Amino acid sequence: MNKLFYPKLAASNIKKNGKAYFPYIITAIITVAVFYIMRSLSLNPGIKDLTRGSEFIGEMMGFGCWIVGFFALIFLFYTNGFLMKRRRREFGLFNILGMEKRHISKVVALESIYILLISLLFGLGLGIALDKLMFLCIAKVVRADVVFGFFISPEAIINTLLLFAVIFLLVFLNSLRNIHLSKPIELLQSKSTGEREPRARLIIAILGILCLAGGYYISVTTKDIMTAITLFFVAVILVIIGTYLIFTAGSITLLKLLRKNKRYYYKTKHFLSVSGMIYRMKQNAVGLANICVLSTFVLVMLSSTTALMIGEDDALKSRFPYEVSFQASQEEALDSFSESFEKAVTNAGLTVTNKEFSKELSFAALERENYFEVTSEQRFEDYNRLNNLCFITIDEYNRLTGERKTLKENEILIFSDPDGYNYDTLGIFDREYSIKETVPKFSLVGSAIISSYTYRYIVLPSDEELNYICERQQEIYGDYANGLSYNFGIDFDGSDDEKLDVYNKAVEIAGNTGSSYSISSRTAGKESLFPMSASFFFLGIFLGTLFIMATILIIYYKQISEGYEDKERYEIMQKVGVSRREIKKSIHSQILTVFFLPLITAGIHTAFAFPIINRLLLMFELTNSTLSAVCTLICFAAFAVLYAIIYAVTARSYYKIVSR
Amino acid sequence: MAILDVRNLKKIYTTRFGGNRVQALKNVSFTVDEGEYVAIMGESGSGKTTLLNALAALDKPTEGEIYLDGKSLTKLTEKEISSFRRENLGFVFQDFNLLDNFSVKDNIFLPLVLSGRSYAEMNLCVQPLAQKLGISDILEKFPYEISGGQKQRTAVARALITNPRLILADEPTGALDSAATDGLLKLFAKINGEGQTILMVTHSVKAASHAGRVLFIKDGEVYHQIYRGGGSNSDMYQKITDALTVISTGGGENE
Repeated sequence: MNKLFYPKLAASNIKKNGKAYFPYIITAIITVAVFYIMRSLSLNPGIKDLTRGSEFIGEMMGFGCWIVGFFALIFLFYTNGFLMKRRRREFGLFNILGMEKRHISKVVALESIYILLISLLFGLGLGIALDKLMFLCIAKVVRADVVFGFFISPEAIINTLLLFAVIFLLVFLNSLRNIHLSKPIELLQSKSTGEREPRARLIIAILGILCLAGGYYISVTTKDIMTAITLFFVAVILVIIGTYLIFTAGSITLLKLLRKNKRYYYKTKHFLSVSGMIYRMKQNAVGLANICVLSTFVLVMLSSTTALMIGEDDALKSRFPYEVSFQASQEEALDSFSESFEKAVTNAGLTVTNKEFSKELSFAALERENYFEVTSEQRFEDYNRLNNLCFITIDEYNRLTGERKTLKENEILIFSDPDGYNYDTLGIFDREYSIKETVPKFSLVGSAIISSYTYRYIVLPSDEELNYICERQQEIYGDYANGLSYNFGIDFDGSDDEKLDVYNKAVEIAGNTGSSYSISSRTAGKESLFPMSASFFFLGIFLGTLFIMATILIIYYKQISEGYEDKERYEIMQKVGVSRREIKKSIHSQILTVFFLPLITAGIHTAFAFPIINRLLLMFELTNSTLSAVCTLICFAAFAVLYAIIYAVTARSYYKIVSR
Repeated sequence: MAILDVRNLKKIYTTRFGGNRVQALKNVSFTVDEGEYVAIMGESGSGKTTLLNALAALDKPTEGEIYLDGKSLTKLTEKEISSFRRENLGFVFQDFNLLDNFSVKDNIFLPLVLSGRSYAEMNLCVQPLAQKLGISDILEKFPYEISGGQKQRTAVARALITNPRLILADEPTGALDSAATDGLLKLFAKINGEGQTILMVTHSVKAASHAGRVLFIKDGEVYHQIYRGGGSNSDMYQKITDALTVISTGGGENE
């Protein structure tokens, strides 16, 4: 036999099955490219030099690329399984024509090698080409200056080669198992004749609804961030389980109920589509649930990382209300610091644009309805009742806000974040104040809001009250007590480097005040915050791309396999007297339902995930929930458009198959 | 009175780029009278299936006319064809062509649902029919749960439920064992006895021997036909085998 017989056969097999193999190869190429890019970014020394803290991006990418690798394994396995199923007849034919399983295995091995080589070649090419682009994007996002030059990481290339060689080997072994387990007769036999109708399992359907409701409930009701972190994964798992149960059992139960309604069911339109859907849901429920879960991941990931990205300036401002903030325990220290620091700013040639002083007291207390308990024995269970109380006097308040409010003895003003304060009185120690007014948000100089906590700003009528509260608190907390703090915040213009220089001076000056102090700079803080959100953002983009691709591929394969199965049924219907138009209408409505069901469900999931995601984003100081809502909406709209395009394209190949 | 009138039917298949032309039907003419039971026999490739497809309006002939009750099938528009097929023709196929996702009852209902009948009305139609065909017990079952004979009787019920002018059967016994074949042929004879016109394409001599008239098709033409003329089934059987022998051996020499 010709030596080239097998290589030629393998090549022509791939070409012949191009319709199914083309998307598979494209997926492999993109996965290789994404893996290479992430791996190479994680190894790129240039990342570290971008800005301070940017090595975090590298670490994130290094972590992310293994997720991609794992995902690639699962995904290529899944698609290959589909391809092998489609080709059973072909293998059966080879077998009957006299090829032994050994020979078939050889052909399949050659095919795998071809695909591996093509994927690696194009994937690495694409990866190397886009790597620099991604690097530039990251540099832009963390606002660093860009160094030009090309970086190719041999280690990343070797990693990629090895990883995908192993994945393809595993996939190939799986194909081998498939081939060896099958008998030629089975291979040749047409697909399952007479599929059993699925049973409606009401209990499982109800269980699915309960799971889903539980997940939603957690998301909507969890207010506090610690609980949110712990319950988030519970909610995710509940929703995933719920989705699978509802898609598999719920859909069929519902359809069967519809079928029981004779007057509804025996209408031309419903008759064809309800029965068709029962059949279709049995075949596709799991696939559709997959699509739904993946879509939800994509949506949640993209919307939250984009919101994080866009909102980082806001986050920075809320975390660091002033360019430089200084906090001291003695009033004299504050005076000497502010004086010398202002001088330092002017000496550096910069102008002060804004400055503010305040005297504040802040400590933590446990909220018990309208009483705040201060105790040194805090337990972890009490965590979600922990409040940050910040006290200032009415004089300070009027000065800071420019208001002219007055308070009688025993009266206070209150501002509360993120939840309002719903009582008329507020008790602490032996005092019971009545709330004169709930005031809108105002900024304190010293106590920047860390959004993950509950804050109460309390405006007291006099210095005496402030001192009294302070003393009582010190009695209880002892060594861990806070004293009154004297705060100074200042803004000035200048470039980042200039600001950092001045900040370094400030640290020096502060050291000489002789008081205990704390000092912070927004510009310095930026460098720790931006790389973090940038790395989440890029991780979101990379994984989002992959998940979208996975979704596309599943939809495409579903359409093709559906097409072949439906073809026969529609031929029968035509013979019995269903017009082409009716068939087309029925196909259309079924396909539409089947493919847009996951999108709609994913939309609902995302909407319900929104509250808890919002809570989690507070950890990153993203307080602007309008922004995250807009991001979510835009992401959903963009995803829906993309989804519709995918649908339109794949539906065409479906119709081609059915109407041939 | 002729219920079906086929005149000078011709069908030529061309490959997409017009390279190969295959003549499936050369020149076929025949008529079927109301209440007749006609079998069409012929070897593979003789044009039987093409003829049946043309009669079912599934395929348009290249030339010639088909009249059913005086109405020309070839002039029907795409829109009219489906309802015409539904109301005037009943189909029985070799591989039953039942839909897996419908119960036996729903399979039988299919043409009626398409015509927009109410459930009560349909239910009224199906009961006597199911009784006659012996499928009353399996109405709620699904096609994968019943035997081949039962499947074919379901298909017959589906064909009969619209009271069609003509039943077209394509190798109806092809996938049945001998007992089920006997059952089906008896059934056909019975419904024919009640006045139903049947046109059956087959190459089973046994199936054809139940018909009132047998047409032989060879190379796209009606080559020969024989009438029962009051004889028994076994007489008919004998006549058919004789005719087949002549056609396949002597036929060529005589020409």
